[in-house]
Formats: sequence, structure tokens, C-alpha cells
Amino acid sequence: MRSLSLASRNLKENYRDPLAMGFLLGFPLVFMLLFGAIFSGDATASYPVGVIDDDNTPLSQAFIGEALAEVPTLEVTSYDDADTAKKDLKFGDLKAYIVIPPGFGEQVSRNWQGTETKVTLEMTYDESDVMVSEQLISIINAVARAYARIEIPVTINANPIHIETEITYVDFMGPGIIVFGLLILIPTSARIMVHDKEKGFLSRLLTTPARPVDFILGYSLCLVVIVIAQLAIFMVAAWGLGMDIVGSLWLAFIIFFLTGVGSIGIGMVIASLSKSENQAESLCWLISMPLAMLSGCWFSIEMMPSYLRSIAYAFPYAYTIDASRGVLIRGVGVEAIGSDLLFLVGWVVVIFFIGVMLFRRTMRS
Amino acid sequence: MTQSTNAKDKAFAIQTYQLTRSFNSLVAVDGIELKIKRGELFALLGPNGAGKTTTINMLCCLLKPTSGTGTIMGYDINKQAFKIKEIIGVSPQETSISEHLNTQENLDLIGRIHNIDARELKRRSQELLEAMGLTERAKDQVRKFSGGMKRRLSIIMALIHNPEVLFLDEPSLGLDPQARRAIWEYIVNLKGEKTILLTTHYMDEADFLADRVGIMDEGKIVALGTSRELKADMLEKHTMVIDAWNLNQKVIDKMRSKYAEVSVTEGTMLITDSQLDFREIVDLIQSSGATVSSAYIKEPTLDDVFLHITGKGLRE
Repeated sequence: MRSLSLASRNLKENYRDPLAMGFLLGFPLVFMLLFGAIFSGDATASYPVGVIDDDNTPLSQAFIGEALAEVPTLEVTSYDDADTAKKDLKFGDLKAYIVIPPGFGEQVSRNWQGTETKVTLEMTYDESDVMVSEQLISIINAVARAYARIEIPVTINANPIHIETEITYVDFMGPGIIVFGLLILIPTSARIMVHDKEKGFLSRLLTTPARPVDFILGYSLCLVVIVIAQLAIFMVAAWGLGMDIVGSLWLAFIIFFLTGVGSIGIGMVIASLSKSENQAESLCWLISMPLAMLSGCWFSIEMMPSYLRSIAYAFPYAYTIDASRGVLIRGVGVEAIGSDLLFLVGWVVVIFFIGVMLFRRTMRS
Repeated sequence: MTQSTNAKDKAFAIQTYQLTRSFNSLVAVDGIELKIKRGELFALLGPNGAGKTTTINMLCCLLKPTSGTGTIMGYDINKQAFKIKEIIGVSPQETSISEHLNTQENLDLIGRIHNIDARELKRRSQELLEAMGLTERAKDQVRKFSGGMKRRLSIIMALIHNPEVLFLDEPSLGLDPQARRAIWEYIVNLKGEKTILLTTHYMDEADFLADRVGIMDEGKIVALGTSRELKADMLEKHTMVIDAWNLNQKVIDKMRSKYAEVSVTEGTMLITDSQLDFREIVDLIQSSGATVSSAYIKEPTLDDVFLHITGKGLRE
């Protein structure tokens, strides 16, 4: 129970200190929001849409030139063939393109004459942007119905396709950015212990019968509370920034949580080895920054040389990014990421064992 | 390392055997031998850097000796650290209190680590806070405290679990005279109850508080004894100071013939020798026609003792 007493002290010491609190919770939040502002900038709701007129009748031309052109949220561009439009969709220049099939003009004119007939349009869109594509479908549906003067919905042969940029920036970057936040926990964790070391408070506690494992647990339990708070902030911020969560939120949370605990462990190891806050700080950044790059927080790790990749896969963070992308974006379950989870758990156990051993060695130098 | 670590041999609360600690090439503590009796208040006196704190840190099991060992209540500092930690209380030199915790929370933390039950903890903290005049600040966060209050709390934290041996590292360092007095009075009250090892670089502190003083310099104990013994041993000569009117050359010459050193400056005569007869000196001066306005034998201080032994002053 000594560890609980120590943990409760460590928590009080930090939450009563506005500066420490700001660092622990404010920093990740600011960081997340900044990231969001940089990557999700797409403020004007004006959608570039391509049109291919395969019907080529006066009615289809009027539909393009009058009906569609008048919708303020659409920027309509005409294409000669679907291939060119598809290319632009892939490059992100278009959100969708519509193919007006042969017979469209006839369908419309029959409706104008009072014979209710099905009106068909083909639409191809970027499925990754769910909000945009749904909006587009309904806008085009409404425009076509108004134009054809029909009550029944226009049949839109919706044709979502998988393209390179199917996943938005936020979706792809989100897990990496959260993992980067968890890497920052390394200096945070080390700082909390080394601060006590430098101020002499740890020395006082070391003259009490508390054991190495009590100290390590005391600091770690306090940090676990902080990790949970940070993760809550991260996930709410990520969701607020438009990250799609396809799979289980709980599973993603468990992956991130284990990673956070791993970071605490690394922090404990560094703190045990360091004599001053400066020393610990430098050592922590020296470890966490290269790890952020190697693990793929900011870019895909596939393009790295294999020896760098094997360094990355010696630490938990690359596994976390893989596994959390799987869960959050592709919606995979626990069966698909079992080995990643196992690695994370094993890593946590080993790093804490090392932490306790080092603390034992350095508690009496 | 052949010394017995028999825990039953508790005649001495603290004992060291050639206790040595070096930091690279610097020998901070150089083979010291100490025997401190149970209930004794022992002061390690010396300038900064003499090795006092290193000695305490080794005895509290914070530092490993480079060679030699020591025992606390019979437990070996090299082998039974956790046994020792259960029976000692330490007030370190840096006050070392959790700044964002209040007084009571700091005491509770140390108490709980020592597995003291809640009721006993409450009783003891009330008692100690009362004695140190901190009862009214029990709910205040420590970061708002003055140096003197922190120092008092630090001592209470060292006492909360009722330890057998108490280590006080510079208990009045940097405090104003009033705050020092308050701390001293409290420490005096503990005498006899606990074995106390205190370090200080204030002569008056060692003089006032300690049963015995060990003078430390450059890692070695250079003198050991009660304050009185040290002064007597180290200063064989006494000095008498006489203020008088109309001192004439005749009486001065007479004094010079009787005593080793005599000096006169503006009506003040200083006589130094191993034996001084106060009555005789005053009578001789009076009968020479001079009038003695005051006369006293100057007491040697531990400052003089330190200067005498090491050839340097205590303060940097």
C-alpha cells in the first residue's frame, strides 16, 4: 500500500501545480488542436464536381449549363471522358464526377410530358470523405429531381471507388499524432521522478523503508491517471477534427493505453539513470524524437530502409501505429492485432522490470 | 568487514568502523571511527565540505561506503539497510518536503510508508505539531512556509514514526536567531529520549546542544569529546582580561615577570598563561594604585578549538 500512498502524493503534487498541470494536459491539447488546424483546413464548402455528358442532347446540356451550374456549393467542370475525370478524382482535384448516360434527355422529356419515368445518373465519388459524398449525392439528387420535375428520387448509380487517398489526412495521421503524444510522455514521466530527486525529496523517501517497486509503482500509477486523461483529450480532439472511427474505440484505447504505460516505463528507466532534470530531459528527447520518426508518427514507415525499420519494430510505437490504424480506419478486431497487443504487453513487463532493477541499483550509489 | 552485526549488541546506537567514502579521487570521509551511545546527542562539527553530510548519508543507507562499515542499533549499514530504515528518522539538509502537499499530508505520507495505523498517526502528528507550534498551519500547503517553518516540519517528519535514532543534517542552517532558538529548544527536549546525530557548522549550536562533539575536517575526526573537554584539552592557556585606570609600568613589569604573556592596550590588560590566579592579579593591580573597573577570565570557544586544531577558521 506504500505505492498507493506515494501515487496519491505524486498526483496531488502535480495537480496542485498549475505549471505541471498545464504541461501534462494543456500541452497535448494545444498540440492536437494545432495539428488539426494544419491538416484539416478545408473551410469553404464548395465541391469540385466533374461532368461527362454521354447523352449529349439539348436537355442534358441544359441540365449541366443551367441546373447544376446554379448550385452555389458545386464547382462544375465538364470532361470529355471518364478516365480524365477519374484521374483528377485520384489527385483530389475532384470530389466526385457525374456521368450523364445516353437516354437521359429522353427520360427527362417524358417526365415533362407527364409520363413518370426513371431518371438515371451515374456518380463516382471519393468514399473516404463520408460527409462530402453524402451531401453531394443529396444535392445532385435534388437538382435532378427539380430539373426533371418528378417526385420520385432520381436513381443515382452511386459508384464509390477505392483510390490512394481514400483515407483522409486526419484519419491517416491521427494514430501517428496520438502516438507522438504518447512519446512525449517519456520526458514527462522522467521529469516527475527526477524533479523529486533534484529537490531532495526522493532522498528523504529513500531513508524510509519504501522499496524500489513501491517507488516505481508510486510514480507510474500517478502517471497512468495522467495517461488516461491525455488519451481522453487526444481521442475527443481527434474525433472533433473529423477522424473517422470505424472499429472499436475501446480496443484502440487499450492499444494506446499500453503504449502510454510503455512510455512511462522508459521514463522510469531514464529517471533512474539521471542525476538532474537537465540530464533526464536531454536523454528523453534524444530517445523520443528519433523514435517518433522511425515509428512512423509523421510518415509511412514502408519507405524506410529495412535496417531502420527493424530498429522501429524493437519499440512498441510502430506496432501501435499499425494496430491502431487497423482498428480505427479499417475496423479490424482483436483477432487481427493479437500479436501487436502481445508485443505491447511483453514490452511493458520487460521495461518495468528493468526500471525497478535500475532504481534498486541507483537508490544507493 | 569482520565486525559482528549482532543486533542484540545495542550498547552503542551508532558505531562506525573505518568508515570511508571517496568520490573519484576525493576522499570525502576518511576512515572515521565513531561510537555514539544510546540516548546521546552527538554533534559532528566542521566547515562545509568536511564530510559531515557524506557520513550521515552513509549511516542512513543513502550512500554506499567505499570501505569500512557502520552499525545502527546493531544493524549493519552495508547489509541490513531496510532494517535500519525502519528505525531511523532523517531531516536532510535540503528541507525536502513535498511543496504542494499541506503539513498534515506530508506527515501522513511518511507515517503511511512506515505502516503506522491511522489513529496513532493522528495522535502523534497532533502532538508533534503542537510541540513545534505548527498546529494552525496543518492544512496549509508547504510552499507558502518560511524557512524556519519548513525546518520545523522537516524535523517533525523525521520524528513522526517515533524512530530510535534521529539524524539532523544542519537543522538550523540559514535561519534567523529567533527561529534557531525555537529549533534548539525543541531538540533539547528530545535529549535522552532518542539517539541524535546532528551535523552543524555553527560552534554555538554544537556547544549548546551536544553531549559530545566530534570535530571533522577534510574527512577525518580531528577531535572528539564533550565541549568542555575539547576546550580544556585544546586550550591549555587561559586569558584574563582586565580593564583598569592608572595602570603604571611597574605593575605591568611585575605581571610580565610572573606570567607568560602580558599585553596592554589603552587601559586593557590581557594576561595569558596556563595557570592564572584571579584574586592575586586583581589584588596586585589594585595595590599598585590602579583601579580595576572589570576583570574576567575569557572562556575558550569551540571556534578557538577549531582554529587551534586545524589552523583555520570555521566559516568560509
